[in-house]
Amino acid sequence: MQQLVNGLALGSIYALIALGYTMVYGVLRFINFAHADLLMLGAYAGYFVAPALAPVFGEASYGLLAATVFLAAVACAGVGAGIEYLAYRPLRNRPKLTVLITAIGVSLLMEFGCQHPAVFGAKTRPFPQLLPAEQIHFLGATVSRVDMVIPLVTCGLLMGLWWLVQRTRMGMAMRAVSFNQQAAALMGVNNNRVISFTFALGSALAAVAGVLYSVRASGIDPLMGIRPGLIAFSAAVVGGIGDLAGAVLGGLLLGMLETYVGGLPGVSNYRDAISFGMLVVILLVRPSGLLGRAQVEKV
Amino acid sequence: MRLGGARRWLVLALLVAAAVSAGSGVMNRYYLGVASEVGINVILAVSLNLINGYTGQFSLGHGGFMAVGAYVAAKMTLVFGEQVGAAFQPLLFAGALVAGGGAAALAGLAVGVPSLRLRGDYLAVVTLCFGEIIRVVFQNSAFFGAATGLSGIAPWTTFGWSWGVAALTVYVVLALVHSTYGRGFLAVNDDEIAASAMGLNPLKYKVTAFLVGAFFAGVAGGLFAHMKRAINPEGFNFMRSIDVVVMVILGGMGNTAGVVAAAVLLTVLPELLRGFSDCRMIAYSLLIIVLMLLRPQGLFRRSGKGGGL
Amino acid sequence: MSEKLLQLDAVTIRFGGLTAVSEVDLSIGHGELVGLIGPNGAGKTTMFNLITGVYQPTSGQVLFGGRGLLGLRPHHRTRMGMARTFQNIRLFGSMSVLDNVRAAMQLHRRDGWRQALWRGNQARESERGVESKARELLAIFGLEERCQENALGLPYGEQRRLEIVRALATSPRLLLLDEPAAGMNPTEKVELARLIRLVQERFKISVLLVEHDMKVVMSVCERIAVLDYGRKIAEGSPVEIRRNPNVIAAYLGQEVADA
Repeated sequence: MQQLVNGLALGSIYALIALGYTMVYGVLRFINFAHADLLMLGAYAGYFVAPALAPVFGEASYGLLAATVFLAAVACAGVGAGIEYLAYRPLRNRPKLTVLITAIGVSLLMEFGCQHPAVFGAKTRPFPQLLPAEQIHFLGATVSRVDMVIPLVTCGLLMGLWWLVQRTRMGMAMRAVSFNQQAAALMGVNNNRVISFTFALGSALAAVAGVLYSVRASGIDPLMGIRPGLIAFSAAVVGGIGDLAGAVLGGLLLGMLETYVGGLPGVSNYRDAISFGMLVVILLVRPSGLLGRAQVEKV
Repeated sequence: MRLGGARRWLVLALLVAAAVSAGSGVMNRYYLGVASEVGINVILAVSLNLINGYTGQFSLGHGGFMAVGAYVAAKMTLVFGEQVGAAFQPLLFAGALVAGGGAAALAGLAVGVPSLRLRGDYLAVVTLCFGEIIRVVFQNSAFFGAATGLSGIAPWTTFGWSWGVAALTVYVVLALVHSTYGRGFLAVNDDEIAASAMGLNPLKYKVTAFLVGAFFAGVAGGLFAHMKRAINPEGFNFMRSIDVVVMVILGGMGNTAGVVAAAVLLTVLPELLRGFSDCRMIAYSLLIIVLMLLRPQGLFRRSGKGGGL
Repeated sequence: MSEKLLQLDAVTIRFGGLTAVSEVDLSIGHGELVGLIGPNGAGKTTMFNLITGVYQPTSGQVLFGGRGLLGLRPHHRTRMGMARTFQNIRLFGSMSVLDNVRAAMQLHRRDGWRQALWRGNQARESERGVESKARELLAIFGLEERCQENALGLPYGEQRRLEIVRALATSPRLLLLDEPAAGMNPTEKVELARLIRLVQERFKISVLLVEHDMKVVMSVCERIAVLDYGRKIAEGSPVEIRRNPNVIAAYLGQEVADA
């Protein structure tokens, strides 16, 4: 039971990050390597705004967490849209590989830029306490508050995203752009706006995940995004990249796996190898991911 | 490039490498070290170019292949180095490099087989995962020194070794892709369906590319280990693979001369920026972005002409 | 050699609920030039893909030179002596005209990576042989001047011709042409018809021509099969086909009468 709850919390974080990957991929068919670093930026944004917000909402309260997450998400949405505008938009009609390498460049820039002493520095910093420390006892398991919150947030965001994509004009435009950019433009969709919006949204998701991840973790540093980013990316692919439900499924799966394998004596050091190994096996059996591409949720 | 030419260049490069190597006693150690590193990066980039550039498979696992080669070769010389006389050292070193390359080629086979079913982003992910798996395995293997890695490796990688193998790699890749047999690599990249309609087995070409590419990455790993004298799993992480991919793309996919130039540039440039250590990686990443915005076909590629030298 | 080169027995393929090709029999003899026509969506290209191994039939069988082709992938079939062109041109875009042809000549060579790396006299001899044979083929089709140019830099008509040269470079016994006249102007079509006859006479091979354009088929083929809604509705000489009421109905009577 304890393991289940831990796995669920970890998996939900991976799912949140994977959702960001999958949103951007769904619309632009391109892997935004910088996503992991937006997660890191989100964490730093939380680190800086939380102390300022604490007097308003009270130390370690749900209000503080919500406000911090919100502000970090807004900040990252801006940064994400900015990156798209500066680095990816000029490459819109170039080969995918060019964009991929640019994304890697952007990712490196953010990692090394943030390690510069004049920015954040390479040192690990402790993340502020955003929630009460005492734990909740629940069906025989001891659960920290953040572990309770995370799955709820993920679930809520998934439903929100689904609603957005399926039920709103913007969502319809996103699906249209995803299907065929030229045709969408001819039908009067403003591609640039839709793509900027998608990036902003994906980056906001990364920020939400970043803050929640940091609350769970002990500290933050400029390279903190790499590992969860890699695993969440794998999760998105396992679920079938471009598919919202698939991203969540993949995230939960890898989170659970990591928790269970991490608890086993002897093999716990191999947890990453096992996660990645499973990914390889899944892709060999189902080359387009668990939920494939035929799903309606495809953005 | 004519067929006879490649072999002439090979001989020339080997002679230069041997000459410099012989004279290395009087040369600046630092420059020699950088030059050896250039050679190793050339091997990595040119061999990855066979997989990513000529054959069109997107591999992000070169760091993993390199790790396999480095560990196997280093372990071999560590175990047997004491037992052989000085005269046999080069022989042992060559044997260790080949063994490392062979082990990496086996890993390449393991990665190449999934490539039969997957393409594009999915293949990239699988190769990335393989690279990470290899790293985690070394990290936990006591035989290979676990997280601290191996140290006390003999400093046998001279300028001559590294450039000699680099020349050999360039020769092998060029000779392969320019033969009638090797046009198949490009054919598979251009149009898999048409290639199989012309009687070429795309699967065979893809696996061969992975096999050969991984072999040389393994040899480069062996050279790397005997240059740095100490290796640990972190040295072969995902960033290492990205570095090599960037070299290939900067040079221009499927353009060996360009890739060699890019490997040289990207090894020397960070060294030149060493004085500004805070900013040099920032400059490096900016360089990648700016180059992609301005010259996406690679630095050295004449536009519109594929498969050239 | 009384047996047919290519024989299709009651070949059927279904995609989900849709039967794209249904119970089609077709045979091509040695040295024969057969046309396969039909309105858009009749299943012509599907037939083509069944023969070349892109699809496997749901039922029925395809025999080539008396051998069943079940489960053999496209490159195996090409090695057995079947070569094709593509409706939407699929040349090797990163290579020169000459290399497009060279690449197609590898399949019958024994030289592989060993010879590529260790260039002995024999290997060099073999490479020279490949090149001169490729140039010879290109010359027959008037492309020898273009050898070093990039394949995709050729004008459209020449790209189509290069596809035929490339297919012939695999030394086929059966050449399958998938709508070679698509996108050509009337002059080019006349030239194409001449070319197809030339290929058949000069290389003594069988040709299956899948074509939309009536004039080309009528002027070239000895025998024509007509597909409509995945079924063979007629087969016979051009004259018979032109008079066949089923065919006229399928084509709304117009084109056939004009041709």
